Amino acid sequence: MEVVNGHKKWGFQGNPELIASSISVRGVLTKLMANRNKDDKRPTIPLGRADPTEFPSYRTTPVAPDAVADATYSYNFNCYPPTVGIVEARRAVAEYLSKDFPYQLSPDDVYLTGGCTQAIEIVVSVLARPNANILFPRPGYPQYEARASCSKLEARHFDLIPEKGWEVDLDSVEALADENTVAMVIINPSNPCGNVFTYQHLKEIAETASKLGIFVISDEVYGHLAFGSNPFVPMGVFGSTVPVLTLGSISKRWIVPGWRLGWIVTSDPNGIFHQSGFVECMRNFLDITTDPPTNMQGALTQILKHTKEDFYSKILTIIREAADILYDRIQEIPCLTCPHKPEGSMVAMLKLNLSLLEGIIDDVDFCMKLAKEESVIVLPGVTVGLKNCLRITFAVEHSALEDGLGRIKAFYHRHAKKE
Amino acid sequence: MERWNFGANREVMIAPSGTTVRGVLKKIMENLDKDDPSRPTVPLGHGDPSPFPCFRTTVLAEDAIVDAVRSAKFNSYPPTMLGLLPARRAIADYLSHDLPYTLTPDDVFLTMGCAQAIEVTIRVLACLGANILLPRPCFPSYGAHASSNNLEVRYFDLIPEKGWEVDIESIEALADENTGAMMVIINPGNPCGSVYTHQQLKKIAETARKLGILVVADEVYHHLTFGTNPFVPMGVFGSIVPVLTLGSISKRWLVPGWRLGWLVTSDPNGILQKTKVVDCIINLLNLISHPPTFIQGAVPHILEKTGDDFFSKIIDILREAAHICYDRIMEIPCITCPNKPVGSMFVMVKLNPSLLEDIIDDMDFCLKLAKEDSVIVLPGVALGMKNWLRITFAVEPSALEDGLGRIKAFCQRHAKKH
Repeated sequence: MEVVNGHKKWGFQGNPELIASSISVRGVLTKLMANRNKDDKRPTIPLGRADPTEFPSYRTTPVAPDAVADATYSYNFNCYPPTVGIVEARRAVAEYLSKDFPYQLSPDDVYLTGGCTQAIEIVVSVLARPNANILFPRPGYPQYEARASCSKLEARHFDLIPEKGWEVDLDSVEALADENTVAMVIINPSNPCGNVFTYQHLKEIAETASKLGIFVISDEVYGHLAFGSNPFVPMGVFGSTVPVLTLGSISKRWIVPGWRLGWIVTSDPNGIFHQSGFVECMRNFLDITTDPPTNMQGALTQILKHTKEDFYSKILTIIREAADILYDRIQEIPCLTCPHKPEGSMVAMLKLNLSLLEGIIDDVDFCMKLAKEESVIVLPGVTVGLKNCLRITFAVEHSALEDGLGRIKAFYHRHAKKE
Repeated sequence: MERWNFGANREVMIAPSGTTVRGVLKKIMENLDKDDPSRPTVPLGHGDPSPFPCFRTTVLAEDAIVDAVRSAKFNSYPPTMLGLLPARRAIADYLSHDLPYTLTPDDVFLTMGCAQAIEVTIRVLACLGANILLPRPCFPSYGAHASSNNLEVRYFDLIPEKGWEVDIESIEALADENTGAMMVIINPGNPCGSVYTHQQLKKIAETARKLGILVVADEVYHHLTFGTNPFVPMGVFGSIVPVLTLGSISKRWLVPGWRLGWLVTSDPNGILQKTKVVDCIINLLNLISHPPTFIQGAVPHILEKTGDDFFSKIIDILREAAHICYDRIMEIPCITCPNKPVGSMFVMVKLNPSLLEDIIDDMDFCLKLAKEDSVIVLPGVALGMKNWLRITFAVEPSALEDGLGRIKAFCQRHAKKH
């Protein structure tokens, strides 16, 4: 260390690249937003991020804020929580999920986290060890890759097949897996594709994973947001075929992504996670990571038990109608095709046909120009692993969706290749 | 089991439950005699007085949370992972009251409690490729996180005979070319209950400057002082040495369950910017979970409107409890208290096992005390000092009297016969 003016120079220097995440949805959306034309007086149509909270039709049920108020005023929830979460909340999650399972979950199967975000953080960190790899879907959700990269866990990608409703290409899963593969991730209902896997397909995934000796991480953050012909089937239903880690949260079904309350659940009636030592690892890790606020946990019990069915159906109806609008309007835009009509979640993947456009080089270019010329934000598919595709949110106010799709149509006409 | 590719991950097991306060207390609490319902457990092991009515937070804070959640303005993802701007501004203003310069919102990063601020700090350190200097005794989270990030830790001493002052010579002896980019001080002290003077903090700043290392100031107990030394934030010396200040509302507002904390760069010369430490912090915050948006939304009201009467009420109770604690400990021959606590919620006391029959060490003492008298106390080994004990006095004064009375009885029962 050099000595300058009688004391050493600073002995530290940061290396931000060590934690720079390559691509994030947030990062890309920020760039797109910055590209808008400041003189465009029209409202921005945000079809890039899956967060409908600003729209009045998507207001959460009053049960939710009331539950937080009750928990806060009860004075019982100002203390540190246990590291796995308070037992009443864990019991409530176990009961909530068990309704759709062929077996009963116990509160000890449930671990509360700060949103599905922290659930992903915890699971990927606990799995990381030298030489291990994990299988992610492509297209997928980039936080998985960012997290794996940060934890030095090798990420491998299997394909989702657009022509088959974005089903998992099980052959590609088998080709990728080796003795160092620890798990595979599925996202159901799907982000970014908007499909919902059938019971049959989930069974095939379970059997494949079991054959390969890997477990399944089922990201069900959009759980129950299924409005098409395929009902939502939780992967945990196949927990006796293959051990399943179910990830979920209240963010999407209750439209409160800012509240950051989620869970990791071991859906594993054969107790394999315990026997293999994985549960112990996770508990150790939870002992040192931070927890969701105790008053949020206190509110969770009420939220899960007292939300009325008509709130769930109201939201589902609005989203279903929005998906219909999206699908119909996309038919009118030649350069965009929707391989599979969305039947779940809040987003859909569209294919971009660049050969029908003049002067647009790829999906990023399309989105940047769309932001600039029409103040419409759509996510370029490269962000989620598929170039020359777009991820579009339909969970917005219907009028805004019509407006946005109208502007995309106008954008197409302006850039269409002349015959 | 051979057929499954996943299993215990040795790396994650490096930080087993024995290295956190909660982990150690869990072990001790397992030893409680569940068949003795007649006596309530007296929890003198952890720093969380919120269950006691006299330590209830101000209704103003509860109202702020409820107003924020009912407003429906805070249900969405926050616009930035660094924290809502009004919350960051409010924290900057709140902390600037005690500093000779003004912090801006850009200096403030919101975290899920001071616990996550510690986690971020240690992971940023890993990013600097350096090691860390921790005090002994120390709040064990620092060591636990360092260990799980494969970072080297070196310990410098705090001197019991001198009010738990930092042993400056031991720091200088530890530092070399590969030294730690960071040293941590906890003021007001956990576990020691000490409060450093302006003079002492200045000396620490100058030493760090000389060694070219930055100071992490864990001020989660900020303003919780009830002796003669007032609280002086380390950021006061931010122009001598860059300071990372960690804090939260958990202790001063008695709401550790709300998980609202901060990591602040108290660094008027912008050194943390230039050395890219700030970029590291930002990159890391973009990857991890953050406090619920409505709790962030309540922060400005909580920080700006809480009256001094609430703060003084709490300080008075803590002062009274600290007196009780010190006086009762003086009556117990096998325990000595080198320094009367003047801040935080804890006191470190020395155990003399040689005066006791069949008690081998601090852990044994705590396990047996839990079993026989339903009192929980933290063994010093969890903090790096064997045969010491950390006692919390932040409990209802009557519970404190009860608990210390039982400890005295325990010691008499186990005293060596002459």
